[in-house]
Amino acid sequence: METARLIEMEGVTVKAPGAGLTGIDWVVCAGESWAVTGLQGSGKTALVEVVVGLASPIRGEVRLFGQRMAEMSPSDLANVRQRMGVVFEGRGRLFPRLSVYENVALPLCYRGNLSMTEVLPTVGGLLERMGLEPVAEQSAGALGYAWARRVALARALVMGPELLLVENPFAGLDAAHTRWWRRFLGELKQGVALPSQRSLTLVMTVDDPRWILGLCDRFAVTHGGGWRSFATRSDFERCAGGELRELLHDTD
Amino acid sequence: MGARSIPLRNSWGAWARLRGLLSWLLGGIDISRRVGAFTLISLGSFMTQRRVAPKVMRPLVQEQVFRAGIRVLPIVLFLGAALGLVIVGQTVLLLVQVGQRDLVGPMMVTVMVRELAPLTAALVVLARVGTATVTELGTARAMGEVEALEVLGIDPVHYLVVPRLVGFSVATVSLTAYIAAVSMVSGYVSAFLRGLPMTPGEFIWAVVSAFSWLDFPLLGLKALGFGVLTSMVICHHGLAQPLRIEEVGQVTTRTVAHALVGCLVLDGLFLPFYLTL
Repeated sequence: METARLIEMEGVTVKAPGAGLTGIDWVVCAGESWAVTGLQGSGKTALVEVVVGLASPIRGEVRLFGQRMAEMSPSDLANVRQRMGVVFEGRGRLFPRLSVYENVALPLCYRGNLSMTEVLPTVGGLLERMGLEPVAEQSAGALGYAWARRVALARALVMGPELLLVENPFAGLDAAHTRWWRRFLGELKQGVALPSQRSLTLVMTVDDPRWILGLCDRFAVTHGGGWRSFATRSDFERCAGGELRELLHDTD
Repeated sequence: MGARSIPLRNSWGAWARLRGLLSWLLGGIDISRRVGAFTLISLGSFMTQRRVAPKVMRPLVQEQVFRAGIRVLPIVLFLGAALGLVIVGQTVLLLVQVGQRDLVGPMMVTVMVRELAPLTAALVVLARVGTATVTELGTARAMGEVEALEVLGIDPVHYLVVPRLVGFSVATVSLTAYIAAVSMVSGYVSAFLRGLPMTPGEFIWAVVSAFSWLDFPLLGLKALGFGVLTSMVICHHGLAQPLRIEEVGQVTTRTVAHALVGCLVLDGLFLPFYLTL
């Protein structure tokens, strides 16, 4: 049986500093874990924005869950978005006036027409599993950075997505939080982190790929406006190109 | 040479003034077009998504009604009372003194009920919640919360704008009624204390008999129009572009000016209907 293709890109160019990030030929199949690495400003965020439908590619064809993006109606796009979770960079674009619980519960309540109390078993369980129960009543705007990132992850997972996109998962985290993220992302990949026991397809963008080598099985590099993908970790590590050396800080 | 340069400079100055006026007019047309398009989108969202997530939307609408209506009630009651003392009290007394007792009712209905009450209500909503809302929405836009809503499958117009549209409109209509009623009472009390030779019953009858049956739908429509217009100008300016901290003050001032001009223009559109009453 052929594995489902969640993201397909052919000859795509996305908006990035300079001429843009060009020549993206990329297929993400169900069950894979991708690390998209590159220096800051190389177009990783622009790529994520195209995948989630916040921006259109300058050129090329994008298919999400088998549907051509250019032909999607707003309701098609909403249905596709329901199948993916996104953790944005920084504080994860949380809603600062809502509590942690409300932030996580909001998508579930809105899409299912449920009140905040009706989703308590689902959201409470998720918060407990992610160690967020003690801060559940706090305002998201008052949370520390590391906890805000974790809340953003909980919000991305609450709808039970098939594909999880995480921007710079370990940026700005201390050792304890980094360990937690590595363990939790590993469990998500294996399908043991959530009660659904479904393994998630992961796409992570990282500035420094060393943190993520053990977590991913597919790699891509954005560098100098170009795109290179690698089928295995050893291919990625064997890559002697200047871009990888620069990313791994091997050069002086 | 010097004698020739003066008319040249004058004509240049007039031309510059004309250009300034033209660009101001064009700017006004552009902002009207943008707010008009935004209003159509918001009303469309309100009409077509009435059954989407009512359990989430209802508390949001209630919060906005509370914020723009119930929480500003004390200041509205104070303003109504003050307007009554200053305008109604003096006018009634003056009309009676000059023997124009018959004009008390029509004057009160025209000045207070038809004109000042809805305008004051819109101004209070604009001043008390409008400026805060522009800042709130502008920050939400700048922090990427609008995009986050989209990605979560939540329509930002439905979630952010519709509750404010409904809340501010309901608040403006209700506050108009409060201001009209309170100003009448305080105006009569003030005039009575200064020796007005009219009983409360005579005063009430004079005001009530000056109402036309068309006054009620027109007043409701006008207050609703002010509420819709004010909320749309506020939300449009808040969401139109991501705001930087240093821009907040400027955009807020622009919002108040645009909403005020919009309300006065809308007020003028009601004039032909009132002239036929």
